[in-house]
Amino acid sequence: MTNISDCMKPNVVSITASASIGQAAALFAVRHIGTLPVIDSTGRLVGLLTLRDLLALVMPDFVRLMEDFDFVHDFGAVETRRPSPETLSRPVREVMQPPISVEQTCGLLRASALLRHHDLLDLPIVNPDGRLVGIASRVDIGTALLASWRTTPEGGTP
Amino acid sequence: MIPGIISGLIFAASLYLIFAEKLNRTITAIAGAAAMVGAGLALGFYSEKEAIAAIDFNTLGLLLGMMILVALLEPTGFFQYLAIWAARLSRGRPVRLLVLLGTVTTVLSMFLDNVTTVVLIAPVTILISEILGVSAVPLLMAEALLSDTGGVATLIGDPPNVLIASAAGFSFNDFLTHALPIVLVAWLTALLLLRYLFRTELGKQPPHADAVLKLNPAEAFNDRTTARQVLIVLGAAILLFFVQDRLHLSPAFIAVSASAAALVWVRPAISDTLQRVEWSVLIFFAALFAMVGGLEAAGVLRAVAALVAQAQGVPPVLLGMITLWVVAALSAVVDNVPITIALIPVIEGLGAAGMEIRPLWWALALGAGFGGNGTLIGSAANIVVASLSERTRTPITSALWNRRGLPVMLATCAVASVLFVLAYPWLSR
Repeated sequence: MTNISDCMKPNVVSITASASIGQAAALFAVRHIGTLPVIDSTGRLVGLLTLRDLLALVMPDFVRLMEDFDFVHDFGAVETRRPSPETLSRPVREVMQPPISVEQTCGLLRASALLRHHDLLDLPIVNPDGRLVGIASRVDIGTALLASWRTTPEGGTP
Repeated sequence: MIPGIISGLIFAASLYLIFAEKLNRTITAIAGAAAMVGAGLALGFYSEKEAIAAIDFNTLGLLLGMMILVALLEPTGFFQYLAIWAARLSRGRPVRLLVLLGTVTTVLSMFLDNVTTVVLIAPVTILISEILGVSAVPLLMAEALLSDTGGVATLIGDPPNVLIASAAGFSFNDFLTHALPIVLVAWLTALLLLRYLFRTELGKQPPHADAVLKLNPAEAFNDRTTARQVLIVLGAAILLFFVQDRLHLSPAFIAVSASAAALVWVRPAISDTLQRVEWSVLIFFAALFAMVGGLEAAGVLRAVAALVAQAQGVPPVLLGMITLWVVAALSAVVDNVPITIALIPVIEGLGAAGMEIRPLWWALALGAGFGGNGTLIGSAANIVVASLSERTRTPITSALWNRRGLPVMLATCAVASVLFVLAYPWLSR
């Protein structure tokens, strides 16, 4: 039986809770990632920062208030909205989410369900001490799960 | 004496709970009604039968019928369509946008429920402001203030009007000939005052005026077929309101029949439609009627009427003015529906004592309608706009409302007072 440790990436890009939102944004852009685990000085996972949390800083209010905005072809003034320098200098702990994580023994279907339920792109993996040891994306987990569907030439599952 | 004190205390406590926002108004009304009937049974001044009889089903029927029509119209995108059409017409110029969105909201709320109108127009207003790059606050406040002001003009525009019409026997046309002219002047005053109060915000040219021209109203209109059906029925209902006197039809009957016709024609998923009906409002009304019925049965309202009638020396015009301002002040801080329901028997009592009460009904309608503009919690439309704006980056605060909404209330009440004095002979007819 495969579990999450078989598909996780052991090298994780992470950030500390006192780093600024601006530093986090730069790290997202340079490393081309969707989730930044937030850790304390001992490497324990204390939060999650996602692309979504940062984009929320510039997202128009109407996106949350309207049922449908397909008819808006040009976002006009909000298209070029940027967070203020004061916002960018605030620590990431102010915008991060609670630390959702699993241990290495977690099954793939459970991991997939957690991602779906918490609407996350990536799932951090921690050891029993709560220290970050890896991360797996939706695609990593989903494709690993689908790989187990492959049937043998006889028609049964391997 | 004891029943009077007990029932008075129950009513005062309920008003306090609603005013202090300690308890939801519908829950308060249900508890108050139960307490009133309980006290009435224990002390023998009010029975269950009387409580049921105190509920004005004419008011409830009219509200229910109109709510069902709006519930059918809501998901069609018609309101969104109108707001976007107004935005395009304004070409993004702030003052024009304020006038056009304010007018659309007012006209809709003259025939439909204010809250629904504002709930549907306000998010589109926030959208338009954001893509233009201007503050939504002046527009949102103007929509609430102007729709509350305009709603006084018609029988179906405002819940206090429905109550007053039912009690005084006023027809739809009575409102058009008596309230509408006064409201029109007050509305224009409010608009000019808003233009002045928000002169700084409205003076800035929006940086992205072209973005609104790229909005396509037709795309925002999801279900034209249903909208057409409901609007035809609504139009027919309004025509019937015009001739209701001659046909001897009650507003409730017209509204319920119209909703029945629309339901048969559209054949919607009924549970979805009924979910959009504001049952909490209907229950609030029914419970208030039952509660105020107890106040009346205990003789409190008769005592108040007798007290007012002692002031026979007061010129009737002055009495009307006092009514208008007292009701306006009360409506600014408490819901205007309980105020209206409680004052109706008082005015009826004055009528029974031989006073000329027709002008007092109009004073009550104007005060209850315009008074709500005074504070953020004064009317349901204000609360809706404020709570929606709390979910944006520029929330409307109570302090801001006091600086921009209160002057509008004072100005509209002042205009209404002057016109009330001038038109007094006409309002007595």
